Amino acid sequence: MEITIGHLYPDLLNLYGDRGNIMALVRRLEWRGIGAKIREYRLHDDIDFAALDIVFLGGGSDREQMLVCARLREIRSAFADYVESDGAVIAICGGYQLLGEYYRMGDAVIEGLRILDVRTENEPGRLIGNVVIRSPLSSMPIVGFENHGGRTYIGEHTPLGRVITGGGNNGKDGHEGVQYKNVLGTYLHGPLLPKNPELCDWILRAALLRKGYTSELAPLDDTMEITANRAVAERFAGKMAKRP
Amino acid sequence: MIQAQRRLLAVWICKMLIIAGKLLGKRGSATPGKFALRIAPDILRHLAAQVRQGIIAVCGTNGKTTTNNFIYTLLRAGGYTLVCNRVGANMLYGAVTAFADAAGYGGRLNADFACIEVDELSAVKVFAHFTPNIIVITNLFRDQLDRYGEIDITIESLKRAAAQAGKATLLLNADDPMLAAFGREVRAQGHANIKYFGLRDAPLGQSEPYPQGTSPCSQRGVQPPCCTSIETREGRFCRLCGAELKYDAYYYSQLGRYACPRCGFTRPEPDYTAENITLDGGIAFDLDGTHIAADYRGLYNIYNMLAACAVLWEYDIRAVDINKAFAGYRPQIGRMETFTIGGKQVILNLSKNPAGFNQAIAALRTDTRSKTVVIVINDNDQDGRDVSWLWDVDFERLDNIPDIITSGLRAADMRVRMKYAGNMARILPEIKEAIRAALLCDSDVVYTLVNYTALFYTHDLLEKLSKRRTRFIWK
Repeated sequence: MEITIGHLYPDLLNLYGDRGNIMALVRRLEWRGIGAKIREYRLHDDIDFAALDIVFLGGGSDREQMLVCARLREIRSAFADYVESDGAVIAICGGYQLLGEYYRMGDAVIEGLRILDVRTENEPGRLIGNVVIRSPLSSMPIVGFENHGGRTYIGEHTPLGRVITGGGNNGKDGHEGVQYKNVLGTYLHGPLLPKNPELCDWILRAALLRKGYTSELAPLDDTMEITANRAVAERFAGKMAKRP
Repeated sequence: MIQAQRRLLAVWICKMLIIAGKLLGKRGSATPGKFALRIAPDILRHLAAQVRQGIIAVCGTNGKTTTNNFIYTLLRAGGYTLVCNRVGANMLYGAVTAFADAAGYGGRLNADFACIEVDELSAVKVFAHFTPNIIVITNLFRDQLDRYGEIDITIESLKRAAAQAGKATLLLNADDPMLAAFGREVRAQGHANIKYFGLRDAPLGQSEPYPQGTSPCSQRGVQPPCCTSIETREGRFCRLCGAELKYDAYYYSQLGRYACPRCGFTRPEPDYTAENITLDGGIAFDLDGTHIAADYRGLYNIYNMLAACAVLWEYDIRAVDINKAFAGYRPQIGRMETFTIGGKQVILNLSKNPAGFNQAIAALRTDTRSKTVVIVINDNDQDGRDVSWLWDVDFERLDNIPDIITSGLRAADMRVRMKYAGNMARILPEIKEAIRAALLCDSDVVYTLVNYTALFYTHDLLEKLSKRRTRFIWK
């Protein structure tokens, strides 16, 4: 069994230690004896979604996001087919915004992939800081760091989790991120996956199941990861983090 | 008249606050300048106008404090009187403090030169008060993200600062493609006087990224970016056309001899070139036939020394005994600073960002003794609260070090990072405990790599310990 991870546009979308997310996906497969392969795509490369099991879309600056969004329109239908056939996607920060309908900054509108019924508006001030959320996808809190000017409204979609501390999608409705089929969108980096091993495994499981691998994921020794997760959760969310 | 009295008052208040700060053991020096500027808003303009020969501003992500202090040291050795913000308070108020401190009680300034380290994002504000004659920019790396936003913002800010100081000579690092592109953009904006410094034939032994196929990940069949350096990706791509740059010599981060295969953008030919570089023992190079050597570590210090010499050459000051001046230079705290504790050497180094850490790791690898490494990571405001940059440092290159101890507020994050780098580090969040454990390790030398807010505490601790006879007495 081998899982192929498609890393989209790492030359443009690469803020916030994204390499850590890729490393977590790869190692947590390898530690279990499952093969992992990374394919990097540059802006004008053709992407064969049928060959991919996980698609990773990171964050970039506004200028870089503009470049990417023009290209994404051309691959929209292939990307949408991949999502509808339960393909796993992790989209972080700028990548998350691009999955939606648009990102509006004053008069300028960056058109998104319209895979999700999600809209992002630029509002004054940035949401910057440590975030702790509760999510049904992880028994421990999910921790990370956010830094975004856009406020994302997810409409009828399911959020990734409920904010315990931090801003989340828009600083107003208590939602963080989005989960749709096997797609995760979130503002959390830090990076996200090394310190949230259960969330990482959720994605891996989704990708493996789709490939017909039905056995349980072998447990790993996550002592260090859990310590790091707990240190952040307890420091920034205190007792609230412990409540289920 | 009233204005003159206000300025005099501002100088006095500033001086008093500096003395008070020193008595309280404070090291920062922004507050006195803040008060001085409030009392007399034109104080900086007024004092700076009295500098006789020239004002040098030093900007850049890494190495600006050291470069600025090198310039200070060389000019002092030439017998000049100077204004300098030596401790690195590098925003507007810090500059005001430095000038007021150097002024006499009569409010007059007696100085041939001013060398002022200026934070990149403060340059526009600072240059509103005085126009430097030379602006040195050491390099542009990604800094802490939540403080600086994106590197684009830094570049835009520096461009505006350069436009403000239209007649200044820009002295830029030719080996940094970000700066070479910056130089082009600034030239297009009408800036005439741009000069470059750079290296020729740097020994690549310890500084190159993993040679093709030898990284821990590629040996397991994983393609980059798994553990090859991507921390300065912005820099490794052509700013003009976006293509990946090709390097025929690569030093660290995005520094090297590069060219764009698509649009032809290429490294500018330096006006000041360091040749015949050696890194064994101390560091040494030749500039214009002058042999320059010093007992420092790290290729990055060659850039710092080269830039300082270039400033001297720009003013056509040739009579300084450069090597003697460098030999007498005391490094600022935490710049590969060495302590001896109970017969064991402990080296303290401050690294604030991925490029700084990669430089420190490259320098550490040139040390052949057996090593213990303590890594202290805090996430206070001055450190940058976002620690995701830890994943952009090549900690994989700390291989073959049996004992690594992580410490600080983010010790647990750092330990996870080391796990992914293939090293099961120990965790001791209390800095004191971590240092103690390191001293007890069976190694010849302890490297302590810290980020900003851990520096002074760790420094004071090591200094205290170094004054004791044995390393086993604690408390």
